[in-house]
Amino acid sequence: MSNTRVSRRQFLNYTLMGVGGFMASGMLMPMIRFAVDPVLEGGAAGDFIPTSQKVSELTEEPVRVDFTYDQVDGWYESEVTGTAWVYKDGDKVIALSPVCKHLGCTVNWAGDSAHPNQFFCPCHAGRYEKNGQNVAGTPPIGPLDEFDVKVEDDLLYLGATKPNTLI
Amino acid sequence: MNWTANDLDLYMQQQEYIDTALIPLVHIGSGGAMKQSASSAEFLLNLCAFIERQFKGRVVLFPPFSYTDGNDKSRLASEWADSVSDMPFKHVFYLTTDPSWSREGIIADAIWIPSIPIESMDKKLKQSVLEDQVRQIIPVLTAKWTTE
Ligand code: FES
Repeated sequence: MSNTRVSRRQFLNYTLMGVGGFMASGMLMPMIRFAVDPVLEGGAAGDFIPTSQKVSELTEEPVRVDFTYDQVDGWYESEVTGTAWVYKDGDKVIALSPVCKHLGCTVNWAGDSAHPNQFFCPCHAGRYEKNGQNVAGTPPIGPLDEFDVKVEDDLLYLGATKPNTLI
Repeated sequence: MNWTANDLDLYMQQQEYIDTALIPLVHIGSGGAMKQSASSAEFLLNLCAFIERQFKGRVVLFPPFSYTDGNDKSRLASEWADSVSDMPFKHVFYLTTDPSWSREGIIADAIWIPSIPIESMDKKLKQSVLEDQVRQIIPVLTAKWTTE
């Protein structure tokens, strides 16, 4: 019994070491993350995500294209579904972000029967032209963002979003 | 908006537009009902996340409010109603897979959605099932927005 006893001094030492170690890891973690993060982010930003949309099936009418990717936020890791509104303008493939430039709701093509040729935001009746230009007098304060697009074997790939270049 | 510090910052500035609280009511079953209640919670929270995405600029999705069989529902409901009425929301939507809230008139306008076991579905199917459900709920929400 007596040889397994921990003296008061030993006990204090152990505890302090434990706390110290914990604090050190608390300081080290962010430092390591800063060092590693840029590399990871570079990879994610430059990536194109494949979709199942055939480019030959696109028309001038915007259609919804869904895609999925992994997202890590803190300790939540989740598979996120993204959406784009995609149409053809001549030979060019245009993919617009559905995120409303007012407060971030999801906009729909022809979502309002009174304006069948516009994007409509159901939250506060925001509207956009087909090229993403926000309609003056509705709440949105800027045009819809645009995706980088890539076509490979007739399949559509979506890249990062960027400010609208069509306007 | 989600119940996060950043989203609530935005909420504070844009209260006139973000005028709706969305509160999921989640039943925690015990004994043999545990798994069933987990499945319902999984479904409901997925659905709420979906709705939040569609209506990010109009609703604040609250953290799920969970309760057990031992809780006095009428009391919980009135306590919640009191606290939420102190917040500047114009509309408060309760969403649940537990029919007793509306059936027993505890929260008469709680929106009840029958639970669908999505846990065994593959991603595609899960997504389309959730989408179908959301499509059915949207008219209920917009009706409340336009009438109240
Ligand atoms: S969020 Fe789209 S109009 Fe307000």
